[in-house]
Amino acid sequence: MEFNIDKAMRERLEETRERGRREIRPIGLEADRLGRPIPPDDPYFAMLIARGEGRSRWPGPAGRPKTAGTGGANKSSARATRSVVMHLLLAEESAYWDRGVGVANPGPGMPEPNVISMGTDEQKERFLSRFLEPDKPRWACFAMTEPGAGSDVAGIRTLARKDGDGWILNGAKCFIGNASRSDWILVWATVDPEAGRAGHRAFVVEHGTPGLGGFKIEKKMGLKAYESTSFTLEDCRVPAGNLLGGEERYQSRAGFKSAMGTFNAGRPMIAANSVGIGRAALDEALTFARDHDLLGDPRVRDRLEQSARKLRQARLLYLRAGWMVDAGKPNVLEASMSKAIAATIAADVTALGMEMLGGVGARGDHLIEKLYRDVKAMDIVEGTGQIQRVIMGRHLVQLPRD
Amino acid sequence: MFDLSPGEDLELLVDTARSFAQDELAPRVRDAESAREVDAEVRAAFRQIGFAGLELPEALGGAALGPVARALVNEELAAADAGAALALDPLGPAQYALAELGGEEALKEFALPLLDADGARALLVTRSECRLHDASSDRVTGRVPWVPADRVDLLVVLAPDGAFAIREGIEVETLRGSGLRAAGASELRFDGAPVAARWTGAAPATRALARARLYVSGLLVGTLRQAAEFSRSYALERTAFGRPIAHHQALAFLLVDMYAAVDGARLLLHEAAWRAERGSGGEALAASAFVEAVEVSRFVGPNGVQVLGGHGFMQDYPVEKYMRESRALGLVLGGVDAAIEEAGRALCAEEAPVSLSFAEGP
Repeated sequence: MEFNIDKAMRERLEETRERGRREIRPIGLEADRLGRPIPPDDPYFAMLIARGEGRSRWPGPAGRPKTAGTGGANKSSARATRSVVMHLLLAEESAYWDRGVGVANPGPGMPEPNVISMGTDEQKERFLSRFLEPDKPRWACFAMTEPGAGSDVAGIRTLARKDGDGWILNGAKCFIGNASRSDWILVWATVDPEAGRAGHRAFVVEHGTPGLGGFKIEKKMGLKAYESTSFTLEDCRVPAGNLLGGEERYQSRAGFKSAMGTFNAGRPMIAANSVGIGRAALDEALTFARDHDLLGDPRVRDRLEQSARKLRQARLLYLRAGWMVDAGKPNVLEASMSKAIAATIAADVTALGMEMLGGVGARGDHLIEKLYRDVKAMDIVEGTGQIQRVIMGRHLVQLPRD
Repeated sequence: MFDLSPGEDLELLVDTARSFAQDELAPRVRDAESAREVDAEVRAAFRQIGFAGLELPEALGGAALGPVARALVNEELAAADAGAALALDPLGPAQYALAELGGEEALKEFALPLLDADGARALLVTRSECRLHDASSDRVTGRVPWVPADRVDLLVVLAPDGAFAIREGIEVETLRGSGLRAAGASELRFDGAPVAARWTGAAPATRALARARLYVSGLLVGTLRQAAEFSRSYALERTAFGRPIAHHQALAFLLVDMYAAVDGARLLLHEAAWRAERGSGGEALAASAFVEAVEVSRFVGPNGVQVLGGHGFMQDYPVEKYMRESRALGLVLGGVDAAIEEAGRALCAEEAPVSLSFAEGP
C-alpha cells in the first residue's frame, strides 16, 4: 500500500483548504443558523459553475472536441493525478469546512456513475451532456431509499408497471439529497416486489414529469446546507427510453449489482467525510482548551490524544480502502470497515469536544456543537454501522444472507 | 510518498518469520511456557536465520533492517508465541538505547558479546519502572518489580535524558509471572551494583523509547491477531441453537469488531514505523501506536476468551494465554499512561490545524 502525494495533489488540497476557509465554512454556518438548505439560486452555486465545477466526468460523445474549462479545477495537470485516494483526501478536506455544503454542490452527483456504467450511449448523451458545460447550476439525484426501505434496499416497493411503450411508476421516496432542485432523478423501482433484487429497475425521471411531485424538504438535526427531500410518484408515466440501460440490461443480476457498486465506492467517501468533521472538532477543541488554559489538565490532554490517534487510524482505514480501488483490488470488507469505524470515531471526537466545552457546548452557538449534530448522519447514510458489520460478517465468518 | 507495502525483500523476511513461528514456536507454546524457556534447538535455529542481529549495523554483522521490518517480524513471531519471541531475542529493545545513546561503540561493547551467547538476554526498563535509591551514583541500589526474563546479562535503564547500563551485581529472584512465561519472570535486585556505562541526551533517549514501543507494539499486534483469528475459526465450528455461533449476530459483530480493531492498530503501527525509519520526529506517533495496541489488547484479549465461553477459560485452548500475554505486554516501558501523556503533550504543543499524518506533513 503506497500513496504518492505529489505536488499537484498538495496544491489541490491547499486550494480546497483555502476555499473551505473562505467559502464553504461561512455558507455552511449560515445554512445551519437559518435552518434551511442553501437556495438553488444562491450566488455561491453560480460562482462554482463559472469556475468550471459541477461538470460531468463523462468525456462526452465520441469525437467531441475537447474544450478547456474556465477554471483551475479542470486543468489537465490536476486531471492527471485523479485517483480515488485523491478524491478521498479532497473529500476529507472539504468536509472539514462543512460536509453539507459539499453535498449541495451542483453536478450530476450520485447517479452519474450508474448512468456512465449502465446507460446506453443515447442515454448518456441525453442525461449527461447538459452537465458538460452547464449554463447554470444543475443537479441530478439518486433515489433508492423509501420510508420502508432504508438499509434493506432489496425491500423497495415503488412499483414499475409496463404500459404500452412506456412505464408507469407508483411509490414514495424519502431522504433524497437535492431532489426538488434536480433536473432528473434516478428512481429505483421494482417490477415485482416478491422478486427481491431481480425485480429492480432504474428509471431516469425528468423534473416536471406529470405524477412526480409532493416534494417536501425534511427538517434535519444537522447537515442543513443541502436538502433531504421526500417525494411521490403517482401514475408517473416514463418513456421506455428512460429505463437505464434498456430492458436487456436486467436479464441478469447485473442491474442490482451496479447499484451496489455505487455503495462500495461511497463508503470510504463517507469515512473520509467523517475524518474531516472529526478533525474540525479536534482543532476547535484544541484551540478552545488552549484559550481557556485547560491544557494543564491531564484528562483534557488524554481526550485530545485519543481523538487525534483515532482520527489518524480512521484516515488510514479509508486510505487503504481507496488505495485498493485504485489498485483494482476487491475492497468490500475494507470499505465497510473504514465506514463503520470512521463514523463512530468522528462521533466520539465531537462528543469529547462537547465535553471540553462544558456549558458552552450546551449554548448551541459553538462550531463543535454543530459538528456534533452533523456527524451523526455519517453512521447512518450509505448503510448504517450495523449494516457494515453485517457485510463484514459475510466476509469474515460467512454470515448467511437470510 | 507514503508506503505501507513491505516490498519484495521484506516479504521474504516475513515469510521466513512466519514459517519459523508456525513450524518451530507454535507447536511448543505450552511446553515453552511451563519450561520457562525456549527449546535449545529452536534457539539455535533462530540464531542461524540471523534474526538476533536484525537491526544491527552491517559493520557489526547485522542485517541493518529498520522499524518496519521489526514490526513485521515481531507480529509473525508473536502470532505464535510472544513470550518465546522475547526469550529468543538476545538484544531486544535494549539495543535501541545502546544505538541511539552510545552509538556503534556501545553496541560493540554491550550488544555483540550477547549475540552468540546461547540464551543471553539484554533487558530495557524505563526509569519509572525501577525503585532505585540513587540513580546518579556509580553504584546502584534498588529493585525492578518485574522483568520478562529469568536471566539478565545486561540491564539498560532508560530515563528521559539518558540511560545507564548494569552488567554485574544483578540479583534475579524468580516470579511465577502472569504472562510471557516462556521468557521467564523475575524481580531484579541490586545492592551497590556497578554502573558499566552512562550516556546522556534527551533526544536520543526519546528516540530509543519510541523504537522500544514500536517493538512491543509489533508483539501486541501479532498476539491480538492470533487471538482474533483463533476465536473466529472456533466460532465457525462450534454450533449452538442449530448454527455456528459466528452466525449469531451478537457474536458476528463482536468478531468483526475484534478483527477491525487489530487492523486499525496495525495500520497505526506501520505508519509510525514507516515514519521512524525516516528519522526523528515520529516519537509521538510511536507512543500513539503503542497506546492503540494496548487499548485494543483490553478489548480483543478478554473477548477472545469470551467467544470460546467455558472452553476459553481452560488452558486446553490458547486464548487465555493471549489474554494474559497481551495484558503483560502493555505493562512494559512504564505502561500506557506514560505513552498517552507523551503523545498528548506533543499534540498540545501543536497549533490547529493539527497535522494527522503524511498528507499535511513537510
